[in-house]
Amino acid sequence: MPDHKTLLEVLRVDLSLTGAKEGCEDGTCGTCTVLLDGWPVRSCLLLAAEAQGHEITTIEGLSDGERLHPVQEAFVNYGGIQCGYCTPGMILTSKALLDRNPSPTEAEVREAISGNLCRCTGYTKIVESVLAAADGTGSTVNT
Amino acid sequence: MPEYSVIGKRMPRIDSAAKALGEAKFTADLALPGMLYGKVLRSPHPHARILNIDTSRAEKLPGVRVVVTGKDAIPYKWGVFPYTRDYQLLPVDRVRYYQEEVAAVAAIDEEIAREALDLIRVDYEVLPAVFDAEEALKEGAPQLHDDKLGNVSVRIFVDEGDVEGALAASYLVQEDRFSSPEENYCQTEPYAVLANFDSSGLDIWCPNAGPHMKARPLSTALGLPTSQVRVRKVFIGGHFGGRSEISPADFIASLLSQKARRPVKLVYTREESFNCVRQVHACSMLLRTGVDRDGKITAVDTKIIMDGGAYASTGPIAGSVAYLMWEETYRMPNLRYEGIRAYTNKPPRGMYPHHPRVAFAGLEMHLDALAERLGMDPLEMRIRNAVSEGYVTPTKTVIHSCAETETMLKAAEAAGWKEKRGKLPPGRGIGMGCGAVISGFPMGIRGGSAAFVRFNEDGDVTVISGVVDNGQGNDSMIAQIAAEELGLSVSNINLVTADTSVTPADQGAYSQSSTLLSGGAVKEAAADAKRQLFEVAADMLEAKAGDLEARDGRIYVRGAPDKYVATAKVARTALSRNHTILGRGFRWPTVDPKRDWISNPRGQIASTFSFGTAIAEVEVDQETGRVKLLSMIAAHDCGTPINPMAVEQQMQRSAVEAGPQAVLLEKHIWNKGQNLNANFLDYWFPLSVDVPRIEPIIVTSNETFGPFGAKEGGLSITVAMVGAVANAVRNATGVSITELPFTPDVVAKALANKGGQVQ
Repeated sequence: MPDHKTLLEVLRVDLSLTGAKEGCEDGTCGTCTVLLDGWPVRSCLLLAAEAQGHEITTIEGLSDGERLHPVQEAFVNYGGIQCGYCTPGMILTSKALLDRNPSPTEAEVREAISGNLCRCTGYTKIVESVLAAADGTGSTVNT
Repeated sequence: MPEYSVIGKRMPRIDSAAKALGEAKFTADLALPGMLYGKVLRSPHPHARILNIDTSRAEKLPGVRVVVTGKDAIPYKWGVFPYTRDYQLLPVDRVRYYQEEVAAVAAIDEEIAREALDLIRVDYEVLPAVFDAEEALKEGAPQLHDDKLGNVSVRIFVDEGDVEGALAASYLVQEDRFSSPEENYCQTEPYAVLANFDSSGLDIWCPNAGPHMKARPLSTALGLPTSQVRVRKVFIGGHFGGRSEISPADFIASLLSQKARRPVKLVYTREESFNCVRQVHACSMLLRTGVDRDGKITAVDTKIIMDGGAYASTGPIAGSVAYLMWEETYRMPNLRYEGIRAYTNKPPRGMYPHHPRVAFAGLEMHLDALAERLGMDPLEMRIRNAVSEGYVTPTKTVIHSCAETETMLKAAEAAGWKEKRGKLPPGRGIGMGCGAVISGFPMGIRGGSAAFVRFNEDGDVTVISGVVDNGQGNDSMIAQIAAEELGLSVSNINLVTADTSVTPADQGAYSQSSTLLSGGAVKEAAADAKRQLFEVAADMLEAKAGDLEARDGRIYVRGAPDKYVATAKVARTALSRNHTILGRGFRWPTVDPKRDWISNPRGQIASTFSFGTAIAEVEVDQETGRVKLLSMIAAHDCGTPINPMAVEQQMQRSAVEAGPQAVLLEKHIWNKGQNLNANFLDYWFPLSVDVPRIEPIIVTSNETFGPFGAKEGGLSITVAMVGAVANAVRNATGVSITELPFTPDVVAKALANKGGQVQ
């Protein structure tokens, strides 16, 4: 594998894992987010070589076959997804937050996802989805 | 509202799981065997003649398969309207903005393609350029298009009643000049195209707001029959008005593929997405608003100049929306509007939900200022001027279903308006704004939608519709409509949408017509299929077809629910009788066909209208000028909500676009035609920490044209929230700031000029 390839390129092109997206070229948008040893990182700014020896989790690795991970389920049931482009990064960042902080406040949720840009939702239902995943209500539709 | 089984229910969208799983494929995620990678060479000059292009060295670079310039294309200028055809999608002799397309390469990988660009030599004759709309309109300014003298892209002129007389006789008149620089769409998905040309024609995947709208011009530009250009279904990462028109990228990728006879993928960088698709107009506006002693608007008079960039785009529409939204929101017996869209040497500007922000901030701040001078509550002022069902606007459009006043009252109650307005501590402010949006405007022969409904062997249904989903939920919307009409559940509905090889023509996701027309066509098609089912079921149940109902997967006799047969069984029975159940339907807007944006701006402009009121509360730091949003409330009359969760999503999006984006943050900064902040570090836009929760309030009204009484899903708030946040800042600072956006430096300067006094 050539030294200069980013982790994002290797994921998308060599491994055909297109869940991680390219959005900005300068590490600002967060659509390339993957988890490295459980922490959200910008795969567009990481060389693939740097990732060797670490555990990388992409959005494709979150579900169990057809069974959605609770965070994925909450986003579906609480309207946290519109066009879906920011979604893989947003869900992984949220999962990482909840793994460290299982009962975040709204302010903590907003802070955690402040590096994931969304143009479709205005963020309200994304925050509600994460809070629902946290308190267990995310498994049913938000009526 | 009648008791529906599916309509009006909150449900997850049918494609959300695919997106959550990362399965949803956007254009840049796609790949085809033998695919090449495209890159575009761009002009380093904002205005120049192309004297010569030498591509020979690029062609010889190993790995390069084809290089194209404008000379490889048919001479063809595209335009949204026949009278706005000014856009050669790959220029031959002139470039008109910095980074305009000049040549393109397809190679076996992106790096080689990029290297090849450096080997293309272009000889330019630099021409004088103009970067400001008012400068461009002056005599002696460099001319961008030989047939558009004075750089006037379009001029819209509306003059109804006697504005001068009415203003002279008004009790009070407010006059101000407002201005705003460019904004940008910032769809999270960068623009991308995958084009595959072979002996059967062209398959193309790209972000779009109406695949049929792209197929036609693309076919003309390539010299192909329209039926051989197939714009395929793909997930789209947002559009917001910036992806409805054919893009040079669509054409260039197709041309490369046509020449190479291989698939070509062209993916734009974020900078190219900022600069080389569409931007949002910069505007300056002079506004005069008059009222009588009772606070009723007597006249509105405005001249607005819009910086349209180098090409026409949707000029006639963009040039008209300001007065249209005003006259549908408030009663105004006299209206004069002059809108001039000017050409400048900058990227072309398109439509955007809250365009033009100066208009909506301006009129709303005027109403607050006039209310203040009258000693009247701004809420009372709005109620007095609200339109209602049956009202006829100055340009002779009739308002149909309308719950505008209810949106005002509900928003005010939720916001605690009476308790707060005029009673907040220093530095805090609360403001209100209202808006109306047209739903289903005329688009000539392409203005309607059609659909098919097909019953499959297992009794499930496939709906075939040209409607496109950009992320707003249109696919789920038509599935819900079809399910309700057929008495099935949404899980029984499958979709084939937005694919010009299969789906009938649809007008596209603009003029807020997807629910109204696309949804309406699906309802008609489902009703047609149901009629056919009932004929068979009537026979099976020994009843009259007119006595039958469909609900919960069954067809039964009205009033005798025990006399039923499963819908799936009816469909199979039909097949056993050699009868295929196939429903079809179409829907067109009910508008005045003689109305024209420019030559005759009079008559029914749209089938119906939605209305909304927004209220925002802010805190302004008196030293830094930084505005913090404390709360945002939006009440929207959508007729009937098909899926309340989806309507809320649209309202919340609209609120953030109109408030923090338009009023507080977004602008481009220029230097001689070069965009200095075409990236996410320097172009400020709202993050999750910049906005509060948006509280959505759905209001219903008695809509008769829309399917199940539905209008559109939330766009009135993109108009209303502009006024609400502008007025909240005005309330907090005591100043009408006339330059948008209200960034900290702008607010601080306004406060300093005022002596730092706060009301």
